[in-house]
Amino acid sequence: MAWEYSEKTKQLFMDAVHGKPGTHMGEIEDPDGLGEHGSIACGDAIRFTFRVKRHPEDPSKDIITEARYLTFGCTSAIAASEALCTLIEKEQRTPIQALAITNQDIVGFLGGLPHQKIHCSVMGAEALEAAVYNWSQKRGVDLAAHGVKFTHKQDEEGEIVCQCFTLSAPYIKRKIKELGLKSIPEITDAIKAGGACMGCHHKPGGLQDLLNEVWGAPQTKLKILPERPAGLSKGVSGGLSPYQLGKKIDQVVQEHIRPMLEADGGGIEIIDIKDDLIYCRLMGACAGCPGAAITLKMMVEKAFKEMVAEQLKVIAV
Amino acid sequence: MKTIYLDNNATTAVAPEVREAILPYLGDLYFNPSSMYQQAVQVAGALNQAQEDIAEFLGGVFPDEILFTSGATESNNTALYGSVRANPARRHIVTSAVEHPAILEVVKDLERTGCEVSVVPVDENGNLDMREFVGALRPDTLLVSIMHANNESGVIFPINELARIVKETSPEILFHSDATQSVGKVPINLRSEYADVDLLSFSGHKLHAPKGIGALYVKRGTALRPYLVGGHQQQGRRAGTENAAFIVGLAKACKLAAQCHAQEEPRITAMRDKLERELTTRIPFVHVSGKGAPRLGNTLNISFHYIEGEGILYQLNEHGICASSGSACTSGSLDPSHVLKAMGVPFTALHGSVRFSLSRYTSEDEIDEIIKVLPEIVQKLRRLSPYWDQAKQQPRPGAPRGEVFDDRAKHPV
Repeated sequence: MAWEYSEKTKQLFMDAVHGKPGTHMGEIEDPDGLGEHGSIACGDAIRFTFRVKRHPEDPSKDIITEARYLTFGCTSAIAASEALCTLIEKEQRTPIQALAITNQDIVGFLGGLPHQKIHCSVMGAEALEAAVYNWSQKRGVDLAAHGVKFTHKQDEEGEIVCQCFTLSAPYIKRKIKELGLKSIPEITDAIKAGGACMGCHHKPGGLQDLLNEVWGAPQTKLKILPERPAGLSKGVSGGLSPYQLGKKIDQVVQEHIRPMLEADGGGIEIIDIKDDLIYCRLMGACAGCPGAAITLKMMVEKAFKEMVAEQLKVIAV
Repeated sequence: MKTIYLDNNATTAVAPEVREAILPYLGDLYFNPSSMYQQAVQVAGALNQAQEDIAEFLGGVFPDEILFTSGATESNNTALYGSVRANPARRHIVTSAVEHPAILEVVKDLERTGCEVSVVPVDENGNLDMREFVGALRPDTLLVSIMHANNESGVIFPINELARIVKETSPEILFHSDATQSVGKVPINLRSEYADVDLLSFSGHKLHAPKGIGALYVKRGTALRPYLVGGHQQQGRRAGTENAAFIVGLAKACKLAAQCHAQEEPRITAMRDKLERELTTRIPFVHVSGKGAPRLGNTLNISFHYIEGEGILYQLNEHGICASSGSACTSGSLDPSHVLKAMGVPFTALHGSVRFSLSRYTSEDEIDEIIKVLPEIVQKLRRLSPYWDQAKQQPRPGAPRGEVFDDRAKHPV
């Protein structure tokens, strides 16, 4: 699918890739705040760091002077990271003030994002939150005392709803509320939940249930289809039970067929037995032999027919 | 800027000869081939000729075994829904994990209507797991649908062998193959080597005919219900006025493919091999998917660890280069390619795949241009990656590690 990015998004991406002066690619050594979000398995990840000018008395009045990112992700993920750092550095902000930057601000700065790419902006905002949390721990700032109601993702343990991106029910519910997500596609666009195997969409406790919990149940209900009928199956023929047949075939292979083949530097592997059909593969010297098909029919199949049951047939695999 | 088109597994340029062949039917020869008057008979005659030409191209099958469709997706839908509806007593279908969605989504839909589906996995080279394949066959199996060549990795399945195993298991089991990527690239003779195949789908726009035309080979005697109903065309097996212009174009494209094959196939393969060799030599930490399996000569699927494919495509396009990626970011889904996942491509490289697919219109200069620009693109993106140590040109300590890191180590220059 061809994405339609804004000129600003494309520009920021290319500037970042080419390391244009004024861009924010990189990592601050020994940072005052470090936040990570995403993982390589999920398809995008950011490592976000910032440095502050420390306030001599009140650490909560530290000012962010520098912000940097390293991002694994697509064009818009990299542009969103660039946008985040630019927004933070633009005004002299304390980390707590920086929290006012939302994913919507990032989208605005980029001049819009395709709806499937909204999660790139959310990733930036999440990394910022994590970094501020990290700074508050380092500097001994009590965020709650400053009126920051802060839920760090790692603290939101609970049942994993989206297995593909490892997202828990409490986290998804919080995001549904914070970002005003009203449907499953909106959840997927924003935080990726439900975007891969889609198995969590309508299962009990799944995304639809979480939406219902937050916003109330929708009017219509999904119709549950009846279970599908069981498959047909044909009984095993040949007078022997499957166990006896398998054992007998094995015995013939061990005692008669294998010794004959081994005399010529070859061998045989039985892949499967279904009813009267024996699937096998010639090994060793026999494998590449132009007469392999004839060997199987004339010798192997003949032996099975004579020693086990007349109706057996050999199939080369 | 010149366009360097290396996305021929997505679609191909219409050959000038094909365009020439089509034009009269978009002009004076606009008549409905089902009509009675002389002018229409001329169009009907062209359709019959096209059918004969395509039948000949596929190994001299009967012309009435060729059904024209709107493309491979319709051919696949017809083959699957059509055979399920024609054989209500059987409900079991076997397919592979790496099929195109035009098969996988259809079998999923059939599953909802009561069919049972067995999906056969592939190994890390992309080869079909023969043990699982044999294990999946049942006495009541209705249909086995296995693609010929994979669109993403280019890996070729031995459908002649698979069809033989199926027919030896039970002649009643139908064998279908989605040969969209192989027709025109791999010679297919449905009368000799591939005689056990009952149904075969392909599409015009992968072999230099236009989009919107395809065909389904249906062996005589195969029970199949029509997918499109509502007209007597094509013996009632596919309703709708035939797309005369594009059918003529499809036949022309098949003829051209047959003519060009002996000369062009080795040239295309040599260019692909050069591209693969140069990129794996110049760029560390790469993974070539399908390298250890029989592969289409035109396809290279190469993944770069620790970066994301979309950013690579974007920058390639700045040089006029068109390619595609199995990255989640380039599709509508957030899931990376199901084919690469089925092949067990390391997760650190799963999102960083780029597929180059060549055609007979690809030139060596174009390959050289990619070799020139891609190493720098990869390096610049890796500089931005939180998992990459730019100074040492290797993953950072603590970066997650997939396996199969450096093809150079295994294939010294």
